[in-house]
Amino acid sequence: MMRRLLPKRGVLATMFAMLLIAVWFIQLPASAASTAHTLTLDMRQFEFTPGRFEVQQGDTVTILLTASDVVHGFYLDGYGIEQRVEPGISQQISFTADQAGKFRYRCAVSCGTLHPFMIGELVVNTNFPFWRALAMLGVSLIGSLVYLSFGAKQS
Amino acid sequence: MLKRPEFITRVLLVLTVIGLPALILGYQFVLRPHLNSTRTIEISASTPENGGFQPASFTVEAGETLTLRFTSMDVTHGVAIGPGLGIDLGSIDPGHIKEVTLTFDHAGTYTFYCNTWCSINHWRMRGVIEVRDSLNPNAFPANQVDPVIAALAADGVDIDATTHNGSMNMDTTAMLPGRPSALRGAAIAVNLVIPTELQDQAWRRSHTPMQGIALLLSYNANASQTDLADAVAYLWVVEGSAETRTTTAQFYAQNCASCHGETGGGDGFMAAQTTETPVAFSDPNYLFGMRGDVLYAKIRRGGMGTDMPNFGTLITPEETWALVDYLWTLSLETDERTTGEG
Repeated sequence: MMRRLLPKRGVLATMFAMLLIAVWFIQLPASAASTAHTLTLDMRQFEFTPGRFEVQQGDTVTILLTASDVVHGFYLDGYGIEQRVEPGISQQISFTADQAGKFRYRCAVSCGTLHPFMIGELVVNTNFPFWRALAMLGVSLIGSLVYLSFGAKQS
Repeated sequence: MLKRPEFITRVLLVLTVIGLPALILGYQFVLRPHLNSTRTIEISASTPENGGFQPASFTVEAGETLTLRFTSMDVTHGVAIGPGLGIDLGSIDPGHIKEVTLTFDHAGTYTFYCNTWCSINHWRMRGVIEVRDSLNPNAFPANQVDPVIAALAADGVDIDATTHNGSMNMDTTAMLPGRPSALRGAAIAVNLVIPTELQDQAWRRSHTPMQGIALLLSYNANASQTDLADAVAYLWVVEGSAETRTTTAQFYAQNCASCHGETGGGDGFMAAQTTETPVAFSDPNYLFGMRGDVLYAKIRRGGMGTDMPNFGTLITPEETWALVDYLWTLSLETDERTTGEG
């Protein structure tokens, strides 16, 4: 009964081997060692450029903030960083992205009618090795199937 | 004939509907100004396309103590009052109020202006305070001719020319292979023969650094071009206190950087929208071909159709000279920009 549900033993063995190789070769996220990001973030009515950027958890981020029409502010949710920027006077902030997740940055100085909609997004990717964990899950799944198939043969 | 309760009700109604507003408005506009010895003028600031300062002009009496209350209606503005008063209220966020109490001693015309970039028309955002002296109505100063600009006009100097090296036949690019350094120049100048002209501020202001290099070369034939350029850079920026330089750097950042660029690269965020491309002070080949008094005249008079506003009504001649002194440092090596001689 059990044996009929399972693929042939040879197929199982091949998948098992391939997944093992996958586990072995899938890299851990590149920035397990933290890298430094430097970028210029320009603010104008009513947008941030870039409106979205990604870093890895643990990275150090240095942002040069510029305002290109009126006074704007940069406020980063979650991190609580606030910096006021006047046009013509750029400001530099730096922080360590130690919390993973998506964080909105928004304008912190009333800059006109659409000011409440002036938002951007910082994505801090987690260092959790997702694909490797998935492959390992596959290995254990096949392993248990093989074990079960042996059990079925003996009974 | 009204019944008694009805009569009382009507009286109460009239008191509430008419008496209460009359009381509040009466206090605000009659009693309070009367009790307060200082006159308060409320000025609302909007971008120029939405009305600018309102009111944009008013007349006050010399010797009268005055409180000016500024508030912003749309975006962040800044308010400074000049010339020569040294009042900078800083930036005013929408809904916030900043006030200043001041007394004008003499009759004259003063300007309050926005010093935070607020719109493409930002530089139009100015207001006028006319100070009258009713005891001496004739004391009101007439429009004074700026002696520096008048002298330039008398000499037939074209303020709008792009170079002022005159008949000097020089290959300017060979003269300045890179940015001069006033720091190196200070050390080099000790070993050079410095003619008296170059030690004279008036001569330096009415000649280009390039002419200075040519003059220095005629006294020091063996010196290299780079050394001469460095020495001239040193001589041109040697004056001015560090404090003045800091104040002037801030003035530049607030009022000039939007077009001319934070470091003088002519690449401010508004540079693409001006009628004529703003000049780059960071280019020594341009700046070393300019006369100090011409830069002074341009700042005070404005660019005449180039979108360069006039600053003559905002700052004093001394502040203008300080700004010219600061401009020279923008063409020097990067680390010497704000410190000048180091």
